[in-house]
Amino acid sequence: MDRLSTATPHVPTTRALVRATAVALLIAGTILVTAVLPAEYGIDPLGTGKALGLSGMAAPAPEAAAVLPTGGRLTPVQEGPAALYPGPYKIDSRQFVLGPYEYVEYKYHLEKDASMVFSWMASADVIHDFHGDPDGQPSSAAQSYEKTTRRAADGSFTAPFSGIHGWYWENPGGDTITVKVTTAGFYTSAHEFHFDGTRQAREVRALDAIPASN
Amino acid sequence: MRTIRTMAIVAIVLGGALSLSAHEDFRVIGTISKQAGSAIDVKKREGTIVSIRIDKQTAISRDRKKVDAAALKVGETVVVDAYGDSEDDLLALEIRLVPPIGRGGQK
Repeated sequence: MDRLSTATPHVPTTRALVRATAVALLIAGTILVTAVLPAEYGIDPLGTGKALGLSGMAAPAPEAAAVLPTGGRLTPVQEGPAALYPGPYKIDSRQFVLGPYEYVEYKYHLEKDASMVFSWMASADVIHDFHGDPDGQPSSAAQSYEKTTRRAADGSFTAPFSGIHGWYWENPGGDTITVKVTTAGFYTSAHEFHFDGTRQAREVRALDAIPASN
Repeated sequence: MRTIRTMAIVAIVLGGALSLSAHEDFRVIGTISKQAGSAIDVKKREGTIVSIRIDKQTAISRDRKKVDAAALKVGETVVVDAYGDSEDDLLALEIRLVPPIGRGGQK
């Protein structure tokens, strides 16, 4: 008999398999905590995401940081019935054209308890979801404030948590619909998300964009 | 050596499972230009064609009623909600068969 026919195949013992699986789980867990969580969700318990330059990947859009105004966060301080902010409020107005069955999301970054006022109007009924995404959380953590079909809304809003807050508008039919939104508030940036997966940071305007009347 | 290889394979499998959560949502709107069982090609209004995979979890409907995958015929107008890394790598989560665009919409 030759050597090949008598060779016994090497079968790893259960103990060796358990050990190998445990070590693999440890490696996968390490990669999860040091790279995947910081890159995908902005969760960086060990600071490795920041050290490796991965933290920014979890941001809604690469351009997002570029539109943050100087002066940083607009966190309110409550003084009796008034809320005081470290900087002036911003203004913004956008118009979106939604082709058949298209949707867009438009959201502002607000600190917890920061406020804004808004008015939006569509040329026909749209599926609408006013919602917010907490900073550093996966999209599954989004909270819906109002979800219905409507043509317009006017209101004020105080952010229940720091994050991006705004609207999802969907064209439910085969005709083109226009949506126009106008806001003023203590937000620092605006973000536009399209149905085709593209996203864009939008610049919000400072108060000096409004000419003063005599 | 075998132990290291086993560890590497398990780590790769786990890593692959974790990366599934990195996918993003896409909506593709257009007409079916090709039907190949486990995938459809959708021609968008601007003319580009996107190939989208279908699996058993893909929900297919017309007028909010569930229909069979056989209803996905060439020429049908569809609204596909899918996920993937890009439009080149999409798995359909939901496919709605809608009236042809330009002849009135589905409410």
